[in-house]
Amino acid sequence: MKVYSRACGAIGVVCLLGAISFVHHQVSAAAFRLANPGIKDASRMAAIADHSELAYCTPPFKLVLQRVLNACGLVGQEGRRGCQPTDVKTFASISDADFNALFNPLAQRGAIIMFDDNSDKLDETAKQIIQQKWDERHGARYFFIVARASRKGTIELNRALSHRRANSVLFDIQETIKEPGLDKQIGLLWLGSEYAQLNVDYCGTWQTSRPGKLCDTEAINRSAFISWVDCRL
Amino acid sequence: MKPIRPPSPGILAIVASVIGFIFAAFATFDYAQGLDRQLHSTYCSFIPGLVEATSGPNACTAALYSPYSSIFRGSYWGGIPISLFALGVYAFFFAYGLYLLLARRSASRRSWQSFALLTAGPLVVSLCMFAISLVKLGVFCKLCIGLYVASALLAVSGWLAWKYSGGVAITPSDPDWYPTDPTAKPIGAPAPWYMDLPPDGADIPLGKASLVGMMVLSIAAFAVLPALVYVAALPDYRPYLSGCGVLTESGEKHNALVNIPTAHPVARAVMFVDPLCPSCKSFHERLVGDGFFDRLGINVAMFPLDSDCNWMVTQSVHPGACVVAKAFICADHLARSRELLEWAYGDQQTLQEAGKLGKEVVRNRIRERFPEIDPCLDAHDTQTRLDRMMQFAVANRIPVSTPQFFIGGKRLCEEDTDIGLSYTINQLAPQVAK
Repeated sequence: MKVYSRACGAIGVVCLLGAISFVHHQVSAAAFRLANPGIKDASRMAAIADHSELAYCTPPFKLVLQRVLNACGLVGQEGRRGCQPTDVKTFASISDADFNALFNPLAQRGAIIMFDDNSDKLDETAKQIIQQKWDERHGARYFFIVARASRKGTIELNRALSHRRANSVLFDIQETIKEPGLDKQIGLLWLGSEYAQLNVDYCGTWQTSRPGKLCDTEAINRSAFISWVDCRL
Repeated sequence: MKPIRPPSPGILAIVASVIGFIFAAFATFDYAQGLDRQLHSTYCSFIPGLVEATSGPNACTAALYSPYSSIFRGSYWGGIPISLFALGVYAFFFAYGLYLLLARRSASRRSWQSFALLTAGPLVVSLCMFAISLVKLGVFCKLCIGLYVASALLAVSGWLAWKYSGGVAITPSDPDWYPTDPTAKPIGAPAPWYMDLPPDGADIPLGKASLVGMMVLSIAAFAVLPALVYVAALPDYRPYLSGCGVLTESGEKHNALVNIPTAHPVARAVMFVDPLCPSCKSFHERLVGDGFFDRLGINVAMFPLDSDCNWMVTQSVHPGACVVAKAFICADHLARSRELLEWAYGDQQTLQEAGKLGKEVVRNRIRERFPEIDPCLDAHDTQTRLDRMMQFAVANRIPVSTPQFFIGGKRLCEEDTDIGLSYTINQLAPQVAK
């Protein structure tokens, strides 16, 4: 009996040692893999959450956008200063028509805020549209205000007027939204009457703040174009 | 009259132990594979080793990731798998069964009875695990079934051992035990070994009373030793836990996130989830099952992987998820956000099918269950709030996958969201695990 019990006890211990050896090997192998994970397949790694990028973000559009962001103080500088007509002419390096054409895909996304002659005052409808467009941000990173003046009056006066119009929209957003960091979100351009004037077609293709009212070449340029821009840079 | 013992208890015990050992070894192998914090296939088969391991969700991964597959999960990454104990126990019963087979009549009565009593242990554990599989998991993994069968066979061998512990009294005329056919066994020839015939007048010894205690200690040692070696060999996981990023913006400035009220929140957590994502459902169930959910103040940001509302997704992974996400936001107005989320997880398969048919079908499902929130789904504010949740994801540059879980501002690595969850939460927010 003792022979059997000793032999079977020894067999049991051998089985146990086998089990222990198996366990130790498996855990050690996992520890090695943990310490040496190898190269991860980049295609299987999840993308990082980012702003939206829609089809209209063509290379020329993004080039202009990048220049606007740099020149207008949204990127890389502490203080926002906005872009004057001369800046835009310089950095855009494209014709008026081509510059306007870049923004055509935003017809459904943006709106044109219209002003009275020689005025920078926003009416109630304009304020509502600004709020509505601001709220329709979705995944966009930048909000653009591109203000203009009609050709009536001097260049200097129109530069100043378009600057005030751009500021009216900006101040309205700042008052309503009251968020920090708006300066780094909102791109401000004022073009006066000397660059990239809109033609009357924009009256019909864009949402304006004065639908059903007279919209001619002068009226459509007494305006500030607003839109979120769904491009990554 | 001669007392003999049949070989059946020993043979059955050996067979049961071999089966149990093999299934326990594969279960341990599957578990140990995951210790590298990567996803692996599992041997979910009745003939493990002969059939390829399978990847993706199956009953074995469900059992493996459940809190019932291991113990001390808060102390060790992944805990100690219970299959380890089975490994040692079946090694013990293999040796014991061999002893019963070889020593049979010469083995003491108490050694047979000890064996019989000890076989009740694996049976009780298997019955408990069977009940858990039935009630809690709702699935039966094949490796687990293999272990249930092994413990049942072992229990049968134990019952036979008990029955034959005192031996079976036979006479030379008993045809069952003592064949009298002269052609089969000529008179005067020795009986074959398997007959285990005693010499005339020999009786089965009773054995020492201490034997039972000694066997209990032995089986305990066999059960525990593999677990001790396992723990000793585990690597230090702490350096890996906090390297998966932080929340750069701790709060959403418009208060767009939904705060889910819980019973005893002791730490803040932010969670990005997709209500139609199976991983989010499993993660939620683990948080609830492990008791963490009610100890967290959870802010939930919806992050549906549905291109209908999520600009970061070019192709919908979970069509219809945007509608459910909006419903979750709307339910917050009625303080029913948790109810809706858990309903969506519970009804996830149906909602996924509905999503493939169109978002209106998903909406109808929601309307049937929560009619009062239907008008809110179209509200402009609801869309804006959902956008803000996803803008919050952008601001924090989270990976476009769900779930994403931040506790105390630190991101829980994806690799730690299953078997390593308890340990990781214990390390990142010890107050939650207490």
